[in-house]
Amino acid sequence: MEQTRQLSFGKAINEALVQAMELSPDVAVWGQIVDYKAGVFGTTTGLVERFGAERVQDFPVSEAAMTSAAIGAALTGLRPVLVHQRLDFMIYSLDAIVNWMSLWRFKSNGHSSLPVTIRAVVGKGWGQGPQHSKSLHAWFAHLPGIRVAMPATAYDAKGLLLESILGQNPSVIIEHRSLFSMIDHVPEVPYRVRFGHALVRRPGTDVTLVAIGAMVPVALRVAQMLEKESVSVEVVDPRTVSPLDRETLCRSVAKTRRLVVADPAWRSGSVAAEVIASVVEMIGDQLKSKPSRVCLPDSHTPMSSALEAKYYPSDDVVADVVRCVCR
Amino acid sequence: MTELNHETILKQGRYHNLSIQGVDPKLVQALHRFMVRLRRNQQAMIKEYHPADQMRCPLHFCVGQEAVPAALSVILQPEDYLFSHHRSQGYFLAKGAPMRALFAEVYGRETGANGGKAGSQDISMSSVNFYSGAILSGAVAISVGVALGLQHKKLPRVVVAGFGESATDEGVFWEAVNLAAIRRLPIVFACENNRYSTFSPMFKRRTRESVHEQAAAFGIETRALFGNDVVAVHSALAEAVQRARTGGGPTLVEAFTYRWNGHVGPEDDDYIGYRPKAELDFWKANDPIELLEEKMRPAGLASESSNAQLIAEIDKEIAEAFAFAKNSAFPTEPDWEAINYDPTTPLADRLLRDVESGVFNHAQADAIPGPY
Repeated sequence: MEQTRQLSFGKAINEALVQAMELSPDVAVWGQIVDYKAGVFGTTTGLVERFGAERVQDFPVSEAAMTSAAIGAALTGLRPVLVHQRLDFMIYSLDAIVNWMSLWRFKSNGHSSLPVTIRAVVGKGWGQGPQHSKSLHAWFAHLPGIRVAMPATAYDAKGLLLESILGQNPSVIIEHRSLFSMIDHVPEVPYRVRFGHALVRRPGTDVTLVAIGAMVPVALRVAQMLEKESVSVEVVDPRTVSPLDRETLCRSVAKTRRLVVADPAWRSGSVAAEVIASVVEMIGDQLKSKPSRVCLPDSHTPMSSALEAKYYPSDDVVADVVRCVCR
Repeated sequence: MTELNHETILKQGRYHNLSIQGVDPKLVQALHRFMVRLRRNQQAMIKEYHPADQMRCPLHFCVGQEAVPAALSVILQPEDYLFSHHRSQGYFLAKGAPMRALFAEVYGRETGANGGKAGSQDISMSSVNFYSGAILSGAVAISVGVALGLQHKKLPRVVVAGFGESATDEGVFWEAVNLAAIRRLPIVFACENNRYSTFSPMFKRRTRESVHEQAAAFGIETRALFGNDVVAVHSALAEAVQRARTGGGPTLVEAFTYRWNGHVGPEDDDYIGYRPKAELDFWKANDPIELLEEKMRPAGLASESSNAQLIAEIDKEIAEAFAFAKNSAFPTEPDWEAINYDPTTPLADRLLRDVESGVFNHAQADAIPGPY
C-alpha cells in the first residue's frame, strides 16, 4: 500500500461540506444541531464558525418544512444540503420528497431542476432498534427524479457528496453509521465520483458479489476468507443504487457467471432483487447457477445485541451463500 | 368586535362596505378587468369542457373567487414569486403568464406551459416565477423555502403563497408558518377561506372556523376580511407585500370567499347536499364583480357599453387561446430519463476534479458500530 492521504469516512464528509461551501456561496447546510461543535457525528463540525449562521442553519424539529424549504430555496439558486442524524426522521418529509421534489423537473417539462442533497444516516448496532436503523434506499431508488448514493468508503463519501451538492438533481445520500470510522485514501482536492459508475473493488473469476453500502467491507473480508478455499470472488460496489450501473454489474457477471448480492436492507422489494432481475434479464442465459441474495430478514430491527447478531448477516453467513452459489 | 368567519358573514347579509373613494381609478379598473377576464375565462372553459372532452384533465374552477387573484395581479412584480393551490388558473393569470399557455396545457399540447406534463392542478411557469400543485400544503412550505432563499441572497423580492383554508389542516402548514415567523421571511400567506374541503365544511374539521387567529399565535401579522371586496383584499395584500418587501416579516391574510361551482369539473355538485342553498345564494348575491361594479357605475368607471367593450376584448383573447390550444400539436414521446433527471452537471464540471480512484485501501478498519 503506497503512502497516501488517509481520512475517516466521517472526516471525508466534513471535508466535502467545507469544500463545497468554499467553492459555491450558494451551498447551505441545514439540519438539527448542525451548528454545534460536536456536529452530526463530526461531519458538520467547524462549518458554522467558518461560514456563518446564515449558511449553516439549525432547524426547528420540522423535517417536512425543512425539506420543502430546501425545494423553494433551490428555486432561488441555493444548493441546500439537509442533514438527518437518522434516516428515520427524514420520513417526516416524504410528501416533500415524493410529491414535490422527485417530480419537479418532470412537471416543469425539464425547465426547472432542484439541486438539493439529503444526507441520511442509518444506524446499526448498540441497540439502535427499529426507529434508528432503517436503510430505505430501495424506496428512494424506486422514485423517478431522485438519485440515491450509498457510499461505502471515505473516498466515495467525499466524492459522491461533492458531486451531488454541485450537481443538478435532487439526491439522497445514505450513510451507514457503522462506516464512519473507516479509513481510506482521500485526496485533498475537491474531486467527483459520478453517479451510476459501479466499481470493481476486488477482481475475481468465480463469482460476482455485489455489495451495497455497509456490506462492502463484509464482502471484502468474505472474498479474503474464500480465497483460502480457492474461490475467487469479484466484489462489485454499485456506489449509487439510482442510477444503477447495470452494464458494469453485467460485465462482471458475464465473466464469473455467478451472482450473489449483499444488501443491508429487507429482502422483499429490495435493490438486491432489482440487481438480480436486471442481470437475469440481460444475461441470464450465461449464468451457471441460480443467483442469490443476502439481505436482512423481512422484519424490523431488534434492540437486543443477542438478536442483532442474528438479524445482521455475519461474514460467515455471506460466505456460506457464496459457497452455495459456487457449488 | 365580532369574530369574522363564514358564520358571522352570513348573518351580516348583503355586503355594502366596498368603497372606491380615494382609490386610483386606474387601479379599480385593473382589478375589475382582471376579475371579468378570469370570470369569462372560467365560464368559457366550463361551457367547452363537455361534450367536446378535449380538455382531458381535472379542472378546478374558481368562479366567485376572483378577488384574491385580481388583487395579486396588480401587486406582484415580475421577479416576485407566486404559489397556488389546485384551483390555479386565476393565480396563473395573476402572475402574468399567458392565457394561451394555460389553455394549451389543459389541452395536453406541446405548447402548454409545461408541455402537457402538468395540467391545470400542477401548472407552473418558471420564467414568471409561478408554481402550483395539487398536494395542497406542500406548496405553502415550498414558498417559505423560496422566501428563505430570497433572504439568504438579500434580494428585495417577496413570495405569496396562495392556499385554501383546508391546507391548514396539515401539520406542515404550521411548520411552515413557524419557520417564516422565526426567520422573519419575506412571505405573504394568502388564504382563500371558501369553507369547504371538497364537501367537508371547516366546522367539521376544526373547533374554530378561521385560520388567522391560530396563525397569530405563531407571532406573525394577520388580517381577516370579507374576501369578495376586491378593494379591501387589494389593500390588505398590498400592505402585507410591502411589509414583506421591506423586512417586516410574514403576514397571513385570510379572505373569506366562496366557490360557486362544484369542487372539480364543470358540473354542480350541489345535488350531494353538502352546503345549504341559502349559503350559495348569499355568496352569489355578493358577487365580487357586481360588488365592485355597483360602485364603479356611479363614479363613471363602468357602464353597459364599457363593459360590453371589455367583454368583447376578453372574449377575443379567449377565442384565440382556444384556437391556439386546439391547433397545437400533441407532445411527442419524451426521453423519459432526461425529463426526470437533468443529464448535465455544469457546476460540477467546472469546480470538481477527476482523480484516480484506484488506490482503494483494502485493509480498511473493520466496520465498527459507534458508541451508539
